Amino acid sequence: MTTNPTSRTVEGTTDNALRLLEGGNARLVAIFGNVDPIGAKRVYYIVDVNREYRRISVPVIGAIPSATRITPAAAWHERELHEQYGIEIEGHPDLRPLFSHSDDYPFLQVQGDGVCELPVGPVHAGIIEPGHFRFSVVGDSILHLEPRLFYTHKGTEKLFEGVPVMNGTALAESVSGDNCFAHVVAYCQSIENAFGISVPPRGRAIRLLGLELERMVAHIGDIGALCGDVGCAVPAAYNSRIKESLLLASARFFGTRYWRGIAIPGGVRRDLSAENARAFGIVIAQAAADFAEMARIILDTPSVLNRFETTGVLSNKIARDLAVVGPAARASGVQLDLRRDHPYGHYRNITVEIPHFTQGDVLARARMRIEETRVSARLIQDALNGLAAGIIRTPVPSDGSAEGFSAVESPRGELLYSIGIRNGCIARCHIKSPSFQNWPCLSFAVEGNITADFPLINKSFNLSYSGCDR
Amino acid sequence: MIFDFVHRSLRSPSVLVPVEELIANSLGSRMPDARAEALTDAIARRVVDACAFSALAIDGGDEHMTLSLDYGSCTGCGECIAAGEGAFHLANIVPCGVSRQALIRRWDVALGIDVTADEAAVNATANEIRSIVGGALNIRQVDGGSCNGCEAEIAALSNPYYDLERFGIHFVASPKHADMLLVTGPITRNMAEAVKRTYEATPAPKLVVAVGVCGCSGGIFAGTPEVLGGVDSVIHVDAYIPGCPPTPAMLLTGILHALRRQKPKVL
Repeated sequence: MTTNPTSRTVEGTTDNALRLLEGGNARLVAIFGNVDPIGAKRVYYIVDVNREYRRISVPVIGAIPSATRITPAAAWHERELHEQYGIEIEGHPDLRPLFSHSDDYPFLQVQGDGVCELPVGPVHAGIIEPGHFRFSVVGDSILHLEPRLFYTHKGTEKLFEGVPVMNGTALAESVSGDNCFAHVVAYCQSIENAFGISVPPRGRAIRLLGLELERMVAHIGDIGALCGDVGCAVPAAYNSRIKESLLLASARFFGTRYWRGIAIPGGVRRDLSAENARAFGIVIAQAAADFAEMARIILDTPSVLNRFETTGVLSNKIARDLAVVGPAARASGVQLDLRRDHPYGHYRNITVEIPHFTQGDVLARARMRIEETRVSARLIQDALNGLAAGIIRTPVPSDGSAEGFSAVESPRGELLYSIGIRNGCIARCHIKSPSFQNWPCLSFAVEGNITADFPLINKSFNLSYSGCDR
Repeated sequence: MIFDFVHRSLRSPSVLVPVEELIANSLGSRMPDARAEALTDAIARRVVDACAFSALAIDGGDEHMTLSLDYGSCTGCGECIAAGEGAFHLANIVPCGVSRQALIRRWDVALGIDVTADEAAVNATANEIRSIVGGALNIRQVDGGSCNGCEAEIAALSNPYYDLERFGIHFVASPKHADMLLVTGPITRNMAEAVKRTYEATPAPKLVVAVGVCGCSGGIFAGTPEVLGGVDSVIHVDAYIPGCPPTPAMLLTGILHALRRQKPKVL
């Protein structure tokens, strides 16, 4: 198997792309631009149609019609396209700049008696990333929230350009630090797809260990933070302890706490001895058992449930309209998990149990994470038990020109890298992060809630600022 | 319910890591170090070529070659260890310093010796730390544009393994309550003003510690128009902690180092 069978690229027109989006069962994945060496502009549309990725490559000369009229999920993608490539987008309702900040940014004004604006950030009260939130409130109730992000915009996609394909991993690992392994695996898979390379089974299985461990670490940390946000200090501390036990095990068996420096195009750089595999399995089992017991107690505590239930509801309709991905989507009744719907690597050989909930509140998102942690622990044990023998890495050509893309189900949801390679170096790298797709839905989830619940609701989505801002 | 929590925590053994095991422990940091006696001209050239981030450099020409490693630019990618034929290995030391220069280690390749101008060795007991901290140290963490890797590790300092609170070190919500700013980078164009204002809002005397390779130098993001550079490109910095990201042990070591070297100024 050389390339991902569920993905293909076709040359087309904007009309082709828009018609595809108008059809049923279509979900927008990404829209992004590119300029080739002679200055010709191109727009790429990636659409998921019936569990198949279609990438449409469109040469662009003048203005293009907006896809936002068909699906609101396209709004930020087209704002980025307009700002970064100067492409006019006809019929887009809101082309305010995302990346370049100025003091006179026109926030949407909510008018009426007693409406106050509450500005928060970019520097927040806690060890978290920067971003600005503009609340329009009446008393304690939130009428509207407008997030203004991209404070951590670092020009990352541009930095990839000219980098030899084997040297891009450190950059991919620095897009969103807490999901660095998902990022680097998506990066590597894109290059492997472009060159038609297949990773050895043992390399694929070790990648699965990292991806599922990263999910466990993220979810256990999130549940702890959610408890902390409702003043339930003991489980907050206890979960941070379980999380640390996993990071320490990573450092011990893989030499890195967050799995940096492991993945490389063609496979992985670090193997696992049989003895270490056993010891690692014991740590995972212990962490999973501890967390399951902690989760049972948390879900049995009325003061926690009181705060979690019916708070920050994301309706199924909004989740679909905004093409929300990841645990947030699955907690609002959207059946989407790339490990089942667009399997890659070791996931092609296994069946993954995908929990899902329909309520869309903080509790549903918490329960999603609890269930997914259980599943991840089992996937790790299965992978450790059936670890194939053999090499962990295959060579990747250092020269050549090709295009490829690949998506990974990161702890936050669908994470897609689309990479163009020219003479062995990256010519264009677009990163569609789950946070970029999910941030707009937060405004809908907080509507009608009280401002005091905002930190809790925000945490229940746990979106990455740096992943979104790039 | 709540009694279950209490019961659960009472019957779990403590996981607190003693200070002696934390200080200067670099496990999981991926930072490299050289075995000076194993260095040759050929290896030095090879590792410099292997480093994609220009952290390694050769000075002094063929007759008297010195090899330098700037931890303030090193992401710990491991290419030098792979290319170094055993002359490079994972570091046992934790680099940190009160200047950018102090993050640079040098080896005389011909003589096979470490010629780094020596920084005070970092080690401490719990009592010493309490006396250095002086009972209470309030830290405000500021993200100047990081990838959030450093934030994840700074947050880990409060977990039951490291428990920074045991030394009287607290993370506070407002810069107005802070003695120290722990700033991650790289400083983006969009965050520069907010970082400057946070610094101005912090009452003197104050210490600023730049965290992570990006906070030290801009790291792999240095040189893009969207990034101004390390933390010292916008505010005064008193100490530097490299790493990508620095581990909790490295962070604690670096914070103590900064305090110890700066104490006369603080008091």
